[in-house]
Amino acid sequence: MSVSEPLLRTEGLTRHFRVGGLVSRQMLHAVDDVSLEIGRGEIVALVGESGSGKSTIARLLAKVYEPTGGEIHFEGRPVSSFRSRRDRLAYSSNVPMVFQDPYSSITPAYRVDHGVARALKLHRRDIGRGERRREIERVFDSVGLAPARASARKFPHELSGGQRQRVGFAQALAFQPKLIIADEPVSMLDVSIRIGILNLMLDLREREGVSFLYITHDVASARYVADRVLVMYAGHLVEEGPTEEVLQRPKHPYTQLLLSAVPDPRAEMNVVETVAGEPPKVVDPQPGCRFRERCPLAIARCGVETPLLRALGPAHRAACHVA
Amino acid sequence: MTTVTVEGHPGSEGPPVAEARRGFGIDLVRAIVRNKKALVGVALLVFFLVLALFPGQIAPDDGQAEIFQPGLGASWHHWFGTTAYGQDVLSQLIWGTRQSIVIAFAVGGLATAIAVIVGVSAAYLGGVADGVLSLVTDVILVIPIFPLIIVIAAYKKSAGLFTLIIVLGALGWSYGARQLRSQTLSLRTRDFLESARVRGERKLYIIVYEIIPTMTSLIVASFLGAALYAVLFAAGLQFIGLGDPNSQSWGTMLYWAENNEALGANMVLWAIMPGVCVALLGAAFALLNYAFDEISNPALRLRRLDKPPAPDRRDAAPLAPSSPENILEVRGLTVAYTSDDGPVIAVDGVDLEVARGEFLGIVGESGCGKSTLLYSITRLLGPPFSGEIVGGEVIFNGREIATLGERQLRHIRWREFSVVMQSAMNALNPVLTIEAQMRDACKAHSTMSSKEIADRSREVLRLVSIDPIHLKSYPHQLSGGMRQRAMIAMALLFTPDLVIMDEPTSALDVVAQRSLMAQIKELQRRLGFAVIFVTHDMSLVRHFSDRVLVMYAAQVSELGRTRQVFEKPLHPYTRALLDAYPSIHGPKVALRGIPGAPPNLGAPPAGCRFAPRCVHATARCQIAPSLLDVDGELVRCVLYEDAEVPAAAEARA
Repeated sequence: MSVSEPLLRTEGLTRHFRVGGLVSRQMLHAVDDVSLEIGRGEIVALVGESGSGKSTIARLLAKVYEPTGGEIHFEGRPVSSFRSRRDRLAYSSNVPMVFQDPYSSITPAYRVDHGVARALKLHRRDIGRGERRREIERVFDSVGLAPARASARKFPHELSGGQRQRVGFAQALAFQPKLIIADEPVSMLDVSIRIGILNLMLDLREREGVSFLYITHDVASARYVADRVLVMYAGHLVEEGPTEEVLQRPKHPYTQLLLSAVPDPRAEMNVVETVAGEPPKVVDPQPGCRFRERCPLAIARCGVETPLLRALGPAHRAACHVA
Repeated sequence: MTTVTVEGHPGSEGPPVAEARRGFGIDLVRAIVRNKKALVGVALLVFFLVLALFPGQIAPDDGQAEIFQPGLGASWHHWFGTTAYGQDVLSQLIWGTRQSIVIAFAVGGLATAIAVIVGVSAAYLGGVADGVLSLVTDVILVIPIFPLIIVIAAYKKSAGLFTLIIVLGALGWSYGARQLRSQTLSLRTRDFLESARVRGERKLYIIVYEIIPTMTSLIVASFLGAALYAVLFAAGLQFIGLGDPNSQSWGTMLYWAENNEALGANMVLWAIMPGVCVALLGAAFALLNYAFDEISNPALRLRRLDKPPAPDRRDAAPLAPSSPENILEVRGLTVAYTSDDGPVIAVDGVDLEVARGEFLGIVGESGCGKSTLLYSITRLLGPPFSGEIVGGEVIFNGREIATLGERQLRHIRWREFSVVMQSAMNALNPVLTIEAQMRDACKAHSTMSSKEIADRSREVLRLVSIDPIHLKSYPHQLSGGMRQRAMIAMALLFTPDLVIMDEPTSALDVVAQRSLMAQIKELQRRLGFAVIFVTHDMSLVRHFSDRVLVMYAAQVSELGRTRQVFEKPLHPYTRALLDAYPSIHGPKVALRGIPGAPPNLGAPPAGCRFAPRCVHATARCQIAPSLLDVDGELVRCVLYEDAEVPAAAEARA
């Protein structure tokens, strides 16, 4: 493995779904040709609206879905070469996922330490029974569920949404992961407790050296935690770069729209004209920019040629003919 | 029979729906003791179980010996008389219990086991497996069971106990299997199963240890249903002579009684009592089934408050609104829910005025009583929001609506005020077009002609910039933002004076959210209705509301003009809420949010309710602060009790 090899790298990652009736051959292009990198100890935010394909990417990386095309390289090894159950288990313990809905991501029939206990049993066979209890308490402690012993023995309905989401992180942490995929982990929580979860991510990166792929539609929270930000629109990666750089100098018109809509109770209302409409469902697309219908800057070329990511600044790339 | 909600209650307020597991162990015992149906059911079942286990000790004799005078009526020696063969009816009944119990439990167990295996596997495996298993289930479901069993029993000459159990078990599982299949289907996409898959669990593990335990209450219901069915069917079969005529069972008793024309002779009880026993045992299972459903699904429990309600101000002479400018006046409104641990005051003495054409934002965390306040103003409290207004008054357009009857309410609901709910997907009927739903609303609340309705429907859709072509659309054909706008269009059908919105944008993405908020504001300016906008997200009301009400733990903690509240928040809670937002502007700063969670309203902290989470809390906060008027803004905090307190100035800085 070369030194410059990132922790995880995708190459032309693509996932299509068949839509319509039984005989339909229409394909929904949920993710098209996405190449991204996540470094060691890095927090990368993947930003976009619902339907942009960001949750599909999460599930591709977590191996819930198989890609239609492209490849995921983990620590330099192609993930498609992991065939044995052992290899696959090893990968899933390196790259666990935290889900969006804390009300449905914990089995209601068990105490909340169930997921952690199972993870230890499946992935860390070296740990004995007595030690397992201690390890459970350690992970509950490190996600800020105090007192750890008592919290671990509660049932999900006894915990608040924020506490449940911390249980989600405890489950991920039990794997001793290298990369946690956090799929909108705060969007269903009250604003007042979101920061707590974001701080937890920063804290875990600090203490455990874990990388994060933080998936969100909230650019402000992405800025709060992420080193780099990736912007998705309709299955395409449309812009990427260091967080501050992208936020200060957004190149893609979609990123500019997204930034203008960010809610901020302390800021004056910005007067950017919002473009009506929502991301399209991309079914059997023709070449061309997928944002052109909503884009105030669209030119003729946008209708015939799909823009590719190109460098527009230091480590800053955008897929736009006009920018 | 039963529908069991395993669904949580994401993001909403009000009493949480219990999870499937809730109510086991001690909780279950407590729940049974509290539930009358459960208590009667358990008592009946225990009674029959004791009879079945110890007939030798309880019955006067073995019920078989033909040693008494035949055809006796009821007497002290023979409570239920004797049979035509000179046997004691009571003894026969007691000895016959055993078979019914065995059949009930064996068939219940067998049928439930098959139902679980078939139903869960079909749903979880999907594809061909689901196709085949569902087909078998449906075929069994439509087989006329009784004639089939008659054929089988006739073929076997007489059906012994074992044959009965196998046949009833093999035919009685399909109903339960279908229910379990559909429940599993709805579970299949739940994140905890995906989480188990991501963890690397095998399919079998997921089915046995993740899915099945989650459906405990449905499985119990399926067992009780099958047991009930088995008792009735077995008795029926034996009654028509298809059982073993020498066996001791209630059905066989009925068979012999019928053959001897017991009803016509003096042996009425010989014919009636077995039927009564069948009915009672059946009732036991049915009652338990209902009770279990209620225990696992508290929303079905309709209880009144057992505590005498707080002093009732409703009897007082109606006060005229202090100002005709106000569309809504709420005074001292107090709303309580019942819970297993006593009443929960979810809205505690709230005073509130909304002027005509005003935009009022109500903000606060989940569980602070915002939604309850809104539901009580609109009189929509009812299951599962089984709260009750226990004090105060709500005056809308000069009328006290806390005491209005349903018919009068219907007159003003939708016409004078309307409500836009949080999730349009749930609030819109998925099987009706937008047009049909608008028509229904118009018909229910007015006498408009079809043409007027059609015109008005098109008009309101245009108001929210939806092409009227979508009148023919079903909700799922619209995007999230369009559905939410369609909801708003429906709320505007009658040009109401007040539109109440409960987090109408929180299910939307930021861009759609921003444009919807702008649209609501624009409509409000143009049409002049007042808005009450409930949200946990302060940033939403920042640019749109005239005044903001901050609620915490059922009480008003701050109420003031929007600009004032955002630029100079008085209450530490308001400040903490504002400081919970990361910003995309200015330098990046570390934030802490608000540690902890809002208190349990069943037992709120004495004194200031925010004190346990407040950075400014002092000993003075142990006394409950009252709502103070500070330069025209209302705030509930001791920091402002007298201007000389240096802490106040410090905190404001």
